[in-house]
Amino acid sequence: METQAPDIGHEAFETLKYIIDPEIGINIVDLGLVYKVSLEQEQLTVELTLTTPGCPMSSTIVKAAEQVLIKRFPDLDVAVELVWSPPWSVDMISEEGERQLGRI
Amino acid sequence: MRTATVSNSPGKWVVLPHYAFAALAFVALSVLLLISTDAFGGHYFHPKLLTLTHVAVLGWATMLIFGALYQLLPVVLEGRLYSERLAIYTFGLLGTGTILLAYAFWHFEVGWVMHLAACCLFLSFLLFTINVLQTARQAPKWTIEADFIVTSAIWLLMTGLVGLLMAINFSVPFLPEDHVHYLKLHAHMGMAGWFLLLIIGVGSKLIPMFLLAHVKETKKLHWAYNLINGGLVLFVFDHMVLRMGLLALCAALVAGGVVLFLLYVQAARKAALRKDTDLGMTQTFVALGLLVLPLVLVFVVSGSGLRVAPQLMAAVYLVYGITVFLGFVTALILGQTFKTLPFIVWMHAYEDHVGRFKTPLPKDLYSHALQRWQNINYLLGLLLLVAGVLLRQQEIILAGAIAFTITAVLYMINVFSLLLHRVHDLKPFSYGNASA
Repeated sequence: METQAPDIGHEAFETLKYIIDPEIGINIVDLGLVYKVSLEQEQLTVELTLTTPGCPMSSTIVKAAEQVLIKRFPDLDVAVELVWSPPWSVDMISEEGERQLGRI
Repeated sequence: MRTATVSNSPGKWVVLPHYAFAALAFVALSVLLLISTDAFGGHYFHPKLLTLTHVAVLGWATMLIFGALYQLLPVVLEGRLYSERLAIYTFGLLGTGTILLAYAFWHFEVGWVMHLAACCLFLSFLLFTINVLQTARQAPKWTIEADFIVTSAIWLLMTGLVGLLMAINFSVPFLPEDHVHYLKLHAHMGMAGWFLLLIIGVGSKLIPMFLLAHVKETKKLHWAYNLINGGLVLFVFDHMVLRMGLLALCAALVAGGVVLFLLYVQAARKAALRKDTDLGMTQTFVALGLLVLPLVLVFVVSGSGLRVAPQLMAAVYLVYGITVFLGFVTALILGQTFKTLPFIVWMHAYEDHVGRFKTPLPKDLYSHALQRWQNINYLLGLLLLVAGVLLRQQEIILAGAIAFTITAVLYMINVFSLLLHRVHDLKPFSYGNASA
């Protein structure tokens, strides 16, 4: 995970935790789906991925991320990009995510 | 870096009517089963049994698979469905053909009603195959899953063609052999060519996905594909041309392919990050376990040296069909419906609300208690039905039919509560600790 402008970046990650993957039931940050949050002037850009390409939830999750960030940061321009590189793998799940999956 | 912002999902009117029709067909099938207990005492070429079988395979299983596949093809092949309009025409033809065929078999009217039904069904399969082929052709990459799915559609088309020829042959006899000869061909192409290949193709992608398991090694799947298709092609060739009685060898090839698929699933289970198994996945694993039954029985019905009394053999034939359609295929549908339909409904209902309001999760949209009782009744029904057919006891068959009817009603309640789900009373987010 990469962030710029630490305070906003941290807040953005925390805000994105409100988006729960509907199949797995874990938020998209702890699932490791959020790759990058960056702020350039008034533009907040988020790069996120999905557990599998072709996932039918793609537009839903992208829209959800946009809406939750617009509501949290009404003064910023928000752009959410879906990326496939690097491909998501289970190694990207955070310790908290693994705990929720009952792996630890 | 590749970006994508558009979902490949088709519209809900392409997918959801299939689930509604299939749920109603399952109830109809159970009711027909209730009033057909007398038909299980003899040969499988019986009007009532032919009706039951075709309602099960067409109205219930194929209908639901078509609907689910329009949603899942974009996931498996990573591209958009070729044509939603073709899918809607396919639905209309399949639904009409199924109702007409069920009527024709029940009253054994082998004239124009049956011909029209067979034409509708064949046309439906043709449109479906075109849709699948074109979708696969446009997919960004060709995978082993695409091989399975495309090949299964072609086997379905061939199954429909044999069915159409048999329907015509009823009133205008032109085929050199009797109907039972072609029925064996028709049934096995449908069972192994359509259902088995399709389920393996989709399952090999979805099961690891649901389990959060990355299984990179696909050699087992490639061999499964080769063995099953090899076995089927050999069966068709032997049945129609060679006539060397190679059924046991064909069955062994198909069984070998299935075993390799089951080993692939086992590897996915071992690698699964997700250890909690919900009712949908539990039922899916029950279905895969039930697959062993027809794999054993196929060696009995293929006449591999076993001396079985003719009456018992007739019962074993029936049990063989039951374990495929009401066993493996039905169990899988009962499980996978709740891994697909809640998400489709949720996506269409809440897409515009997620991120702004607190929304329920897909698993909150239906009753897990009903699903649990559905699964219990299903297993009880299957057990009673198989026992009743083997023992030739109509009372036990009736008890099984009652359990199946309860299963179908519980399933229908859950499916329709999902299909009729409406969004209400959503509360906006209040930001606090998201992890709490």
